[in-house]
Amino acid sequence: MNDTSPGAQHVVSRLMRESLMDKALIAGTESTVRAILPTLNVVQIGGLSIMDRGHSAVLPLLDEIVANQGEHTQVVGVGPGVRARHILSVGLDLGLPTGALATLAAKSSAQNAYMVSCLLANHGFVYLEAPFIVQLLPAMLAAARGAVFNGIPPYDLWEHPPAVGKIPPHGSDAGSYLVGEVFGARSIILVKDVDGLYDADPKTNPGAKFIPEIGAAELIRMQLPTLPIEPVVLELLTRAKLAKSIRIVNGLVPGNLTRALAGEPVGTLIHA
Amino acid sequence: MPQAPDNAMLTELGKRLVSGSLSDAAIQKATEATPSHAILPWVNVVKIGGQSIMDRGRSAVGPVVDEIVANLPHHKMILGTGAGTRARHVYSLAIDLGLPIGVLTVLGTAVAWQNAQMLQYMLAQHGIAFLEPEGFASLPHYLMERGAVICQGMPPYKLWEANPEVGRIPPQRTDTGCFLIAEVFGARRMIYVKDEDGLYTADPKKDRNATHIPRISVQELLARDLDDLVVERAVLEMMLNARHIREIQFVNGLKPGQLTAALDGEPVGTIIFNAAAPGGTA
Repeated sequence: MNDTSPGAQHVVSRLMRESLMDKALIAGTESTVRAILPTLNVVQIGGLSIMDRGHSAVLPLLDEIVANQGEHTQVVGVGPGVRARHILSVGLDLGLPTGALATLAAKSSAQNAYMVSCLLANHGFVYLEAPFIVQLLPAMLAAARGAVFNGIPPYDLWEHPPAVGKIPPHGSDAGSYLVGEVFGARSIILVKDVDGLYDADPKTNPGAKFIPEIGAAELIRMQLPTLPIEPVVLELLTRAKLAKSIRIVNGLVPGNLTRALAGEPVGTLIHA
Repeated sequence: MPQAPDNAMLTELGKRLVSGSLSDAAIQKATEATPSHAILPWVNVVKIGGQSIMDRGRSAVGPVVDEIVANLPHHKMILGTGAGTRARHVYSLAIDLGLPIGVLTVLGTAVAWQNAQMLQYMLAQHGIAFLEPEGFASLPHYLMERGAVICQGMPPYKLWEANPEVGRIPPQRTDTGCFLIAEVFGARRMIYVKDEDGLYTADPKKDRNATHIPRISVQELLARDLDDLVVERAVLEMMLNARHIREIQFVNGLKPGQLTAALDGEPVGTIIFNAAAPGGTA
């Protein structure tokens, strides 16, 4: 509600005294956004798909990250994997709310991110918690060779209750996308154990058709029963200002990440 | 293949969770049937408005503080603060500089934080502590010992705030942050203290014919698709998905007694309720 009554002590600004819930006022703020780190590439390492497989999947991928870091600056997000599934199971059984489940699950991806940072330490990568991403990421990228962060966003107790069920909707795919969007990253690459997007689950349906490129809005309309990424990422993409696409690649295939960083059409591109 | 934990220890749902995809609609649906434990069912979340209360200084904040103190023996309260006019200034400046939504959220959080600090200075002599989100594990202790704690109202999304559909103002601000605190703890009440008696058919500061709405469902309010609202739109959308919070209440902090009445469960101001929730009435 608009406040024109005396009493409030205002700072003069374009939004002074205005209701920030007013539709016309909100529409009036539409304008260009500057990319803060336009050369950055966000690489998200899947939890269940890569980390939980251990060294046979993780180490070749990290070698590929290191080999590309000279040419393409990468920050690495990491997902939680099976330990988050386990704590979701116990937490749901105890009747805990979505915000509590999100806080618990985020510790599992923090563990994975910390392990990745240890494996990359020798190559000058550092692990940054969310407050340090806010304050130090540009400085760290100038001083260190790269950074690793917790893929799950710091929503914690403030995670949104989903429309159906209680599983926290913002996982590591969403967190990594949002890091890419806020910094205006050059690319966001989600490294998983599938070649990309299919119109059905290729693990259970051999006739599933591969989709090399698709719009987020179209993918939402298709209402596929299961997706290789968190559905909330599709909604985030439809509202993108800077990061207008994500690419899903199979990290079990050597060279895929390198090709994706080089801008080649590997895996599936989902665009805004 | 990934190694799953010992399945014998898991519930039937647990077995599906460790092996299936979390984006699978059937698995999401299955989690619906789990119990809902209210973590702090006796706590009241009270949001003190930024522009509506804090920016007015002593004339508005003083009586609200007195009322909070008078209620300490009767009602346990988590007091969240709004941002207000300095946030409006820093948002306009940051938008002009081309900065993204996540940066605006970091900036707005600092303003809500300032207001929370000021409110704490006014309540410090009553033993009321200020807690950052990282300190929320201590919250039950402070509530049991002193009856209230203060926090800044913004959700801790920082650079991870999502873009709105339109425009460049962070869509999830202090109304949303306080609502989500109430929801996650399964709070008794969610009360917003602003500078109006609640919701009107039009802005009462601009339109003399505006009439007061004492009670309305969130479904009806969303269907009306008003150009302006008493609360962040995100709160209304989240109310539809909330498991614990079935209604939220708006009171006028400039009128002594309204906050107390709301804490006592009286239908003062405006109540927005979820008609689809169990026990809701359209």
